[in-house]
Amino acid sequence: MNQTLKKPVSIQKVILRLLLYFVVLDVCIITLYPYFAMFTTALKSRVEIFSSNGTILPVTALWSNFIEIWSRAPMGRYMLNSFLIAGGSTIIAMLCGIPAAYALARMKFKGQTAFLGFVIVSQMFAPVVLLIGIYQVMQALGLTDSIVGLIFINAAFNQAFTIWLLRGTFMGISAEMEQAATIDGCNRLQSMLKVLLPVAAPGIVTTLIFIFINAWNEYTVALCLISTDTLKPLTVGINTFNGYNMIEWQYLFAASIFAVIPVVILFMCIEKNLVSGLASGGVKG
Amino acid sequence: MKKALALLLALVMALALVACGGGNNAGKNNNQGGSATPPPQTDEPDKNDEPAPSGDKIDINVIAAEYGQNTKQWWADFQNEFNAANENINLVVEVVSWNDIYTVVNTRLGGNAAPDILNIDVFADYQADGLLLPAQDYVSEETYAKLYPAFLDQSVVDGTVWAIPDLASARAMYYNVDILEAAGVEVPTTWDELKAACEAIKAYDSSIYPWGIDMTTDEGQAAFAYYVWNNGGDFTDADGNWTLNSDANVEAIEYAIGLVNDGYTNSDPANETRYNLQDLFGAGKLAMVIGPNSIPTYIADNYAKANTPEAEQINFAFTSIPTNGGNPSVSAGVMDRFMCFDNGHSDEKIEAIKTFFDFFYDDARYSEWVLMEGFLPATSAGGEIVAKEDPSMAPWVDIVGSCKFYPTAKAEWADVKQGVIDVEQQALLGGDVRELLDSLQSRIAG
Amino acid sequence: MNKKILRRAEPYLWIAPSVILMAIFIVTPILKVFQMAGNKVSRTGQLRGFNNFENFATVLKNPTFGLVLKNTIVWTIAVVVLSTVLGFVLALILNNKFRGRKIARAIVVFPWATTLVIQASAWNFIINTDYGTLNTLLMKLGILSAPMNWTPTPEAYFAWEIACGIFVTVPFVTFCVLSGLQSIDTTYYEAATVDGANYWQKLFKITLPLVKSSLTVSTVLNIIYVFNSFPIIWTMTKGDPANHTDTLVTYLYKLAFYNGRQGEAAAVSVIGFIILLICASTYMIYTLRKGDDEL
Repeated sequence: MNQTLKKPVSIQKVILRLLLYFVVLDVCIITLYPYFAMFTTALKSRVEIFSSNGTILPVTALWSNFIEIWSRAPMGRYMLNSFLIAGGSTIIAMLCGIPAAYALARMKFKGQTAFLGFVIVSQMFAPVVLLIGIYQVMQALGLTDSIVGLIFINAAFNQAFTIWLLRGTFMGISAEMEQAATIDGCNRLQSMLKVLLPVAAPGIVTTLIFIFINAWNEYTVALCLISTDTLKPLTVGINTFNGYNMIEWQYLFAASIFAVIPVVILFMCIEKNLVSGLASGGVKG
Repeated sequence: MKKALALLLALVMALALVACGGGNNAGKNNNQGGSATPPPQTDEPDKNDEPAPSGDKIDINVIAAEYGQNTKQWWADFQNEFNAANENINLVVEVVSWNDIYTVVNTRLGGNAAPDILNIDVFADYQADGLLLPAQDYVSEETYAKLYPAFLDQSVVDGTVWAIPDLASARAMYYNVDILEAAGVEVPTTWDELKAACEAIKAYDSSIYPWGIDMTTDEGQAAFAYYVWNNGGDFTDADGNWTLNSDANVEAIEYAIGLVNDGYTNSDPANETRYNLQDLFGAGKLAMVIGPNSIPTYIADNYAKANTPEAEQINFAFTSIPTNGGNPSVSAGVMDRFMCFDNGHSDEKIEAIKTFFDFFYDDARYSEWVLMEGFLPATSAGGEIVAKEDPSMAPWVDIVGSCKFYPTAKAEWADVKQGVIDVEQQALLGGDVRELLDSLQSRIAG
Repeated sequence: MNKKILRRAEPYLWIAPSVILMAIFIVTPILKVFQMAGNKVSRTGQLRGFNNFENFATVLKNPTFGLVLKNTIVWTIAVVVLSTVLGFVLALILNNKFRGRKIARAIVVFPWATTLVIQASAWNFIINTDYGTLNTLLMKLGILSAPMNWTPTPEAYFAWEIACGIFVTVPFVTFCVLSGLQSIDTTYYEAATVDGANYWQKLFKITLPLVKSSLTVSTVLNIIYVFNSFPIIWTMTKGDPANHTDTLVTYLYKLAFYNGRQGEAAAVSVIGFIILLICASTYMIYTLRKGDDEL
């Protein structure tokens, strides 16, 4: 039966394939266009950026712009700080979020709905609104001007996402295997770690990426909490190029491109695991 | 079984705590490894009654505005020199960009964590809440005597000076000599001439914007000042009462809006900031614009960076701002300040702060500070040095002496500033200037 | 007895770290907002005692508030709806196996991996009338002969801001949905194919119900995030001209940090919170009830 159908399908398939590539290509072009604009701008001199005969590509590429930002600001330091903040937040958010999501998905308890509601409600104020309160909490804990403070804030602001997404993922996975594991003598924690989490890998990886990116991009809280230059994350640090009398577009964009690269690399590394984690889950399922 | 589980759970939580602890140490290490200077002490607000020295040293923390590319490095060097010269003092300067400084300062104040010294443009709000010390308490007599009295007057509330000027900038009209010549117009000195010049330039080349206007949230109050002051109007009368809806003011804003509506200006004055304008002017797309004294330096830097041949550079000059009705031309001055927060300082600390200002206003160091980003000095000695070292600054040193300033000493200034910007933008959208200014006046003056 | 208590307490132990984290770092600051909303607050943030909800009265009496609220609703609905639809479609496309899929997925992450402040600056730079790269590009391609003013009216500018908002939100939705799609067992589709189901039937009968939970999560959170989104509008227009592109968050930011009216700013955020609470709880009660049935 499959073979009789094969011929007409394949023509349709070719068209669909072409259409698919066409759409994907368009999406990629549109998505990359701002980066293309940023990149070419970063290579131009200010005179050329604002010149009345605009150019698409720089007449003379000033690669020095990309080098100069490293001497104009401690970019390496900023980047390291961003990594510490984003990495730390991801770890804390997961350590707190996974057990909560697990409890919500696998146990029944009083206040379950209330807790879910609380998690959502906690997100309903923009960090901009909470700045003064956050600063006071940090003062009380002695965490102003510290990366640790930012790690906790980012972890807290990502709890809602972590818990809700993971709860959904866990609920989508049948509890039978864990029950079997429990019969084999595993306790709950073991069965969660050994049975549930590997199967839930795609959801967990997605959540990880989300938290990491959110924390990597956080700006307002870091701005108000960190006063020492060498503790600033990249987002706040590159503000140096935003002066009183001028905005240094070429430096701002050059620095921003550096800021995107690590996230994309990280994503590409993790995406591989996402697929393999999925495959192993599929086999077991 | 359950016990084991509880134990394990406790372990997970302990792990989380360890992770936090680890992070904590990492943070501290960064602090120490990051710079040669010790990390800033975030003074606990309530304990500020006693001096909070780290070791035997007196801590002074400063929040300073970032004027440009060189500010941060300048303050870092200053901090090192100062701390080396004063062994009993530990100075920490935090440089914050202009975009964010209000957010940072208000957050700190909300947390009762005021810096000892703040470098910013406004001071009236802090003074009104009783947060500031009188300037003469923390500035030595010699240093105080150096400051231009006219500048000090800008920071007087109830007969007391609450802040001292760190630098100033003045505004003038810049024009593109070649465009004006090609269009066959003289440099305008009155509003009628300005309008005629705009018309001629537009007729000469419709792709050039004759006149630049910035009515954005960024600095729309400056536009208000340029037109109102040069039409004989003002924010307040001689007694300091708000006169926002005076006839002269209404006429001035109507004139400015008229220029926009006639198509003589940049396309979107409500969203195009002074940065856009100076870049348009530098690219030869804008014929005339009112701008700060830093524009020549800015344009020269751009050309130097791009190795632009002389032939492709714009040929520009500056002159006084056009006026109306025979009023004398008024240059708008912008002045920033140092102020000292009343954190319950000990006598020793006050002495340390005096040392700080003596160090800062040291003539050589001070003129270096001013020249660094192309600003104008607020001390007479500084003025002489600057005029000598950079001849292009000399006319500006004179201009700044005769500038008019915003009424920043008045408590309502923040509302007035946002209010006039809102009036301008409403007028751009077609609102009636008189009605808008009337309602602003009644809102401000009660 | 001990065991019983332990069993009862067990779920609470599991959620405890999360609760503690949020209580300290989010709930305490929220309480501060409520406190400020109810107090007279001086320009530098000093509390001056309860003022009988005057902050709320002042805010609600100001005609600007209505405009800003309308903008916020338009902004939230436009960004959430359009980016959910686009993100969902994009996820379906990227879920196909094709050459270069990995690269395509990585590219789609770009807008999201960029700080919003920078993203918005770049967009502002692209659409600028005088030196924007879009005009340059279109002119070089011969599509335009003279520079085009892309933002002639406040509404046009707002539309660009919405476009930018969609641009950065789509990746979020796409990856939420993709993670849902990838956990779908392929045997479902195989079975359906054998039964002769066409593409659309499979989409609506299998795919949609199965990714519903991740789509629900992304939508609820998106509503909240977009409603409270600050950097895009702040960077592009600061709400200019005359509040025509302000949303509640940029409006209250100006109130707090430019006008020194922190009490009123806190009142605006409490009002925004109440609006969100009503919307989200309606939505949640509806979906949760359904979710419990599925349990």
